[in-house]
Amino acid sequence: MLSLLIFLPLLATALILALPTSYRNSYKYIALVFTGIQFVLAGYAYMQFDASFTGINQEAQYQFVEHLPWIRLDLGTIGKLEIDYFVGIDGVSLPLLVLSAFVMLMAIGSSWNITKSLKGYYALLMVLNMAVMGIFCALDFFLFYLFYEVMLLPLYFLIGIWGGERREYAALKFFIYTLLGSVFMLLIIVGLYFSVTNPVTGAHTFNMLLMMDPANYASDGFFSQFAGHEVWGIPTRMIGFIVLFFAFAIKIPIVPLHTWLPDAHVEAPTPVSIILAGILLKVGGYGIIRTCYSIFPDAGLAAGWWLALIGVISILYGALNALAQRDLKRMIAYSSVSHMGFVLLGISSMTAEGVAGGVFQMISHGFLSAALFFLVGVIYDRVHDRDIYHYRGLAQLMPKYTGYVAITFFASLGLPGFSAFIGEAFVIIGTFNAESVGTGIPRWMAIMGSIGILLSAAYLLWTLQRMFFGETRLYGGEAWSAKLVDLTAREQLILFPSLALALILGICPFLVFDNLNASVINLVAMVRQYI
Amino acid sequence: MNEFTYYITEFLNHIIGSIPLFGAELLLIATFIVSILGSLFLAKRFPQATFNITCIGLILTLFILLQQYAANTVGGGFFDLLLIDRLSIISRLLMGFSALVIALFMRQYALKTKNARNVSDAYSILLTATLGLFLLVSSTHWLMLYIAIETVSISSYILVAYFAAKKQQSEAAMKYILFGSVCAAIMLYGLSLIYGFTGNLNFASQEQLTGLTSTPNVVMGVAFFLLFTGIGFKLSFVPFHAWTPDVYEGAPTAITAFLATLPKVAVVVLLARILQSWTASPFFYSDILIYGVTAVAIASMLLGNMAALRQQQVKRMMAYSSIGQIGILLMAALVYQGDNAHILLYYLTIYTLMNLAVFIFIDRLEHQLGSTTIADYRGLGKKQPLLFSCFTFVLISLIGLPPTAGFMSKLLVFSSVFDSFQSTGSTCYLLLLIIGASTAAISLFFYFKIPTTAFLKDYKQDSTVQNPNDSQVDTLYILAIIFSFSLLILGLFPSLLLNILK
Repeated sequence: MLSLLIFLPLLATALILALPTSYRNSYKYIALVFTGIQFVLAGYAYMQFDASFTGINQEAQYQFVEHLPWIRLDLGTIGKLEIDYFVGIDGVSLPLLVLSAFVMLMAIGSSWNITKSLKGYYALLMVLNMAVMGIFCALDFFLFYLFYEVMLLPLYFLIGIWGGERREYAALKFFIYTLLGSVFMLLIIVGLYFSVTNPVTGAHTFNMLLMMDPANYASDGFFSQFAGHEVWGIPTRMIGFIVLFFAFAIKIPIVPLHTWLPDAHVEAPTPVSIILAGILLKVGGYGIIRTCYSIFPDAGLAAGWWLALIGVISILYGALNALAQRDLKRMIAYSSVSHMGFVLLGISSMTAEGVAGGVFQMISHGFLSAALFFLVGVIYDRVHDRDIYHYRGLAQLMPKYTGYVAITFFASLGLPGFSAFIGEAFVIIGTFNAESVGTGIPRWMAIMGSIGILLSAAYLLWTLQRMFFGETRLYGGEAWSAKLVDLTAREQLILFPSLALALILGICPFLVFDNLNASVINLVAMVRQYI
Repeated sequence: MNEFTYYITEFLNHIIGSIPLFGAELLLIATFIVSILGSLFLAKRFPQATFNITCIGLILTLFILLQQYAANTVGGGFFDLLLIDRLSIISRLLMGFSALVIALFMRQYALKTKNARNVSDAYSILLTATLGLFLLVSSTHWLMLYIAIETVSISSYILVAYFAAKKQQSEAAMKYILFGSVCAAIMLYGLSLIYGFTGNLNFASQEQLTGLTSTPNVVMGVAFFLLFTGIGFKLSFVPFHAWTPDVYEGAPTAITAFLATLPKVAVVVLLARILQSWTASPFFYSDILIYGVTAVAIASMLLGNMAALRQQQVKRMMAYSSIGQIGILLMAALVYQGDNAHILLYYLTIYTLMNLAVFIFIDRLEHQLGSTTIADYRGLGKKQPLLFSCFTFVLISLIGLPPTAGFMSKLLVFSSVFDSFQSTGSTCYLLLLIIGASTAAISLFFYFKIPTTAFLKDYKQDSTVQNPNDSQVDTLYILAIIFSFSLLILGLFPSLLLNILK
């Protein structure tokens, strides 16, 4: 079933490419229908999911597993190489999978008005869709890497062709940043696969779950816990952890590796911004949980303090930057940096509350940031200007829009009753408790995190006040007020579900936590044994 | 004299026994003679005669090689001057096939270029070049190798100079010849030193190994340096790369494609054999070699990729990128150990496919636009989606991103290097891996100039550039598209090819 979920978009791509351009108007419906089916499939997986399975490091504890031999090579002296087509989901990947399908639907809904080379646009969008679904399901490191890299190309072209004025610069910057992380990740993957053998077949393997068990490492393997290898005085396992973290940290993104994000967001078209913020940043957080901490738990624990510090710096620096922006989209991009900082802080605390809160924050930020970018897209579509100071008193002109913006802003800043509150609160609780369980995260970091929430209230509410309240005064005068019509039915149809979801998850967080719990507890127990 | 008469029968029997091993080369020689006769007597009436003879000859050669492949022939002949093994058979198959593509390429060039002179003789030269290349991969004897290298060099000089019409092209040819002859002479000097110290010309022989061990280190260092000058020129690694950009840019694209693929394959195979024989023993000179090759590989990767960043001409850019690629090829040669030949061969095959495809695309665009400047591709992505999609895909493969075969081949090479690192603990290998990975990220900048210009910029009608039309479809173009698709298939299912190469 997961294969169907992953490769359905590829079918859509083939269909779109095969249809002649005279049917260009049908492309969006094809994309919508296929993504709709995916959403239904993801929903079905959610309903069928058995919350008692603990996932993380045992194949038997994953669900919907498909495990087929894919590449088998005999490399002579080096030994045998084993690459599997191995997909499956646990409590961590399930909510992200559902989120991806949901955000993808939003993205297609918001690309309704795109007119430039539709064929290429929807074909690339569907390839991207396949890649992100694949990342969240893959349990073989080779397969994971494959999807991870395949994701880059469609995004490069989506930003580069359909983007704004400085799109070439932004697209290349995004590509280079991610590639720089991933080429070094490849070296670690090679090192891991040399150190790990499959106990059943005796071949070197890319299977991530086997990499998580110290017993599968060759006794003098490069990454073996017991061999204690060092390169230039640093333990190899620490190097492995840092390099993998570096690759995913670029995605999250952390300060100071975040500079691609504002550029990419500002230049990307609205649907791509939605996907970037809604799904791709989550790949970073997911990668840290799935690979960094699961494969190198000892190193992860040792580096926890620094990770948490990076998280705190991202929260504060991102928020302060957001406060200083004139461009609405840039402000929201920086708010993403700030909110994703919570994810890192929560994961690095390695308490059940913190990690669960981090994953919850990813889900909540996923659809809330998608909604925020969509809202920016709404006014940008109408008057092609995003400067906060060019608007004033929009509330009188666009009352419905103002309502939606206000609700989304309040939800994002962590108002109790909305999902962001649950995520951030759990992260802070987890960080606060970390000192008592001995994962080495001091309490002041939790306090700094709460200051981040305060700052986010400041920039969001200030923006609300600057743009929407007071006398209506627009930079473009009468021409603008004629163009700035209120939300259409289609736009409301896209916005409403995400806001409803924010509210539902804010009131009933157990919808996510129930499935998440067993996996998170398993992960935390696995890491904590190295204390 | 009389003491030899006793052995003559034995000698003759040995020589006669060696002839079947030499079948492919003999056929090439025969084809060469026939093709010369063809161009002398038939060219007026049948302009395509030489081309057809060449193709038939090459196809028959491939057929003989396939038989050798099927029979799994292994053996030496002509008093150890000739060595036939898996590596030699498969690399010759690869080169024979590429030579066929190059022949097609040359015909295309001749057809499309107005007032091109009679190209018939160029096909004959291509045959001699192929002959030299074939010998280069099937010997471990310096005498044979030197003759082979000279055969390839002289043929390449002629091929580069043959089509020279503009001043710039003649300059390129002249540079190539001067640089090449000096390097060959230096190499010969190095060989004579090695022969002087060891008394044996076969580099795989025990005598040469023991002889090298007892040679003073400094002298031997000099000998190696001189020897690698010759090899370095052919492979164009740093610091012997200076001729590459000018020659690549000046030569017709068909010849550039030849220079970028076939000689590289042959010399890398030769180098792999040398390194395998010489680095196996733990003496001083094996360390020197490993350090030397590492240094040269790192310098090539850094300099090639950095210099490619600044290029505006696509052929010049490909020249620098091929210098960078040599770094990875050197890595593959360094870790060759005899039983993992399929990794080297897989890399070489994919390398050849990628480069042939890229140059076919470049040539097609050159004929359409009359230009090889990257900036002139602007906005063409929408006009020729198939060409530029395939082009982009091949470039992605050159960078080494999944799901392409370029990624798979790089992964296999990196794996071998990592294995060597793990077993020896030498930092050289680790440095190679790190530089190899980071230059892949650098190479993205310049390779992606092409799709960026073609897809991201808007089309602008320019008076200096002809209006492109995509109507013509020719064999070569179809071949390049097939290459692109096979890069995808071999990337997803590398076992298809690796099992053949084993």
